[in-house]
Amino acid sequence: MVKYFIRRVLQTIPVLLIISFIIFSLVFVAGDPVALMLPEDASFEDVENLREALGLDRPFLVQYGSYVVNLLQGDFGESFRFNQSALPIVLDRLPATIELAVAAMLVAIVISIPLGIWSATKRNSSLDLLATGGAVIGKAMPNFWLGIMLILLFSVTLGWFPVSGRGTMLHLVLPAITLGTGIAAEMTRLIRSSMIDILNQDYVRTAKSKGIHDFFVVYKHAFRNSLIPVVTITALQTSTVVGGALITETVFSWPGLGQLLIQAVNTRDMAVVQACVFVIAILVILMNLFADLLYRLLDPRIKYN
Amino acid sequence: MTKLLEVMDLKTHFHTGSGVVPSVDGVSFDIKKGEKIAIVGESGSGKSVTSLSIMGLVGSPGRIEDGKLAFEGKDLTKLSKKEMRKLRGNEIAMIFQEPLTSLNPLFTVGNQISESIKLHQKVTSKVAKQKSIEMLEKVGIPRPDKIFSSYPHSLSGGMRQRVMIAMALSCNPKLLIADEPTTALDVTIQAQILELMKDLNEELETSILLITHDLGVVAEMVDTVMVMYAGQIVEHTDVYTLFREPKHPYTKGLMDSTPKVHMLDEELVSIEGTVPNPLSMPKGCRFHPRCQFAMDKCVSEQPELMELNDNHKVRCWLHEEKEVNLHDLVKS
Repeated sequence: MVKYFIRRVLQTIPVLLIISFIIFSLVFVAGDPVALMLPEDASFEDVENLREALGLDRPFLVQYGSYVVNLLQGDFGESFRFNQSALPIVLDRLPATIELAVAAMLVAIVISIPLGIWSATKRNSSLDLLATGGAVIGKAMPNFWLGIMLILLFSVTLGWFPVSGRGTMLHLVLPAITLGTGIAAEMTRLIRSSMIDILNQDYVRTAKSKGIHDFFVVYKHAFRNSLIPVVTITALQTSTVVGGALITETVFSWPGLGQLLIQAVNTRDMAVVQACVFVIAILVILMNLFADLLYRLLDPRIKYN
Repeated sequence: MTKLLEVMDLKTHFHTGSGVVPSVDGVSFDIKKGEKIAIVGESGSGKSVTSLSIMGLVGSPGRIEDGKLAFEGKDLTKLSKKEMRKLRGNEIAMIFQEPLTSLNPLFTVGNQISESIKLHQKVTSKVAKQKSIEMLEKVGIPRPDKIFSSYPHSLSGGMRQRVMIAMALSCNPKLLIADEPTTALDVTIQAQILELMKDLNEELETSILLITHDLGVVAEMVDTVMVMYAGQIVEHTDVYTLFREPKHPYTKGLMDSTPKVHMLDEELVSIEGTVPNPLSMPKGCRFHPRCQFAMDKCVSEQPELMELNDNHKVRCWLHEEKEVNLHDLVKS
């Protein structure tokens, strides 16, 4: 187990290297950084001088090499908007995003698990139709639209929740629902189909033949089995959550990574963009690793050798 | 011997989108205490649905339409869900065809056996564990205390079927329903499992209802045999009479299509045609389209299960006036 864990952590190194290469290349794709830094009427000589001073005249791979060396020291470069090192700015925003993501996942789990199980056990009932229909609508609604609608109804008209910002639990409710709805829809459909499959398994019939109450047949014998594919997809949803957070944070002015990233892209603050992407990539990798470990707890058939 | 289970005119139908499927259509038989009885038939003959009906496990869209299932005098079809759960796994237990998939992969063998013991006998976990290990030992599992904490995937098919049997017998049921218990196992393991079931039947006086399509297993195991075809019992007699002198052309067909060691160089006979579509059963005798002895009457009128003597019933017009020997009929 420990060996497996160490190997998995080591496996993330090449992944991180590839990501670092991609984010480094971003700078070149986005246009000449020197042209951005200098006023439009700067002379050719000034441009060349700055290019040399920043080391941008060196070959691409040499620049990448020194970029990686800096990365290893946690140095993503300076943000010219904030005039300070990029990484601390990003890490400063991280807790807000994690708070939002966890809350959204909680919303998704609380909705999708009972709904998925109910609609699987009462297939083709009106509840099932309502759940599957609701899931389609939930998945189809764009985050920004849902967010604005929720603000209109609950903040502006009813005045129950603050319109934007972060601080109290009340601030968290609407963004979490906005971000959680799409995930809940996806998970409901997944749990439903997984449960339908599991409820037809021979061991569920065995459990019934033992005289076990239907409730325990469903929750003890079937549900844990149905969780295995659900965990995989949920871990893969991390990237969706982060993607959704970009929009949700912007709608609710939630001071997280997403909002920072969008502002940084708009102002071409490349160091911050790079640091954001890198931190998000690490988050996704960590979630996948966590899912792998969770399998082992859920399914004794999985052995890590 | 006293009657343990009386099945009277059981009708279990499935209501599908394309019509009503009468999977079990008027089946009657009884099982005495300590008796071993078998239902034989092809896939789709209704033998498994009969057993699931007794267990109360026929799932939607199927349901018991009519008939009585008297277990020690109580009609199982009239019991509440709760009362039925009390019987299930306790007084009537069942083992299934697929030992590989019939155990939950996420729980240890011990957890699954002691689960029913704890449920029905209201004992502590410690007592249940002890009882489970005893049961594992009884069904011939080596190192039972170690197997108790293993997961099903680490056991072979034969071992898993032994675990299933241990689980089924853990509450000393009065009736054990075994639905093709050896079909998925290889021949040597098959023999061991049958032997084990026979021993347990003698030791614990558990009645056994064996569901199978394998006449070899029938000959090996049981006292009484019922042959089912298209949802009905077509022949019902003791195992010796059935093999010596089958009275229904379908039974005879089944026997002839079983390879025998002393006839290895002869061509194997098969029954012409296929099982009828349950949505459009043939009029008259359900077997007549495939029957080599079919007469005009067989096409128009459905035969009842006729009693030839005390322990032989057959559903066939051939024997209406007097008992006929099918072997002689073939020769003439």
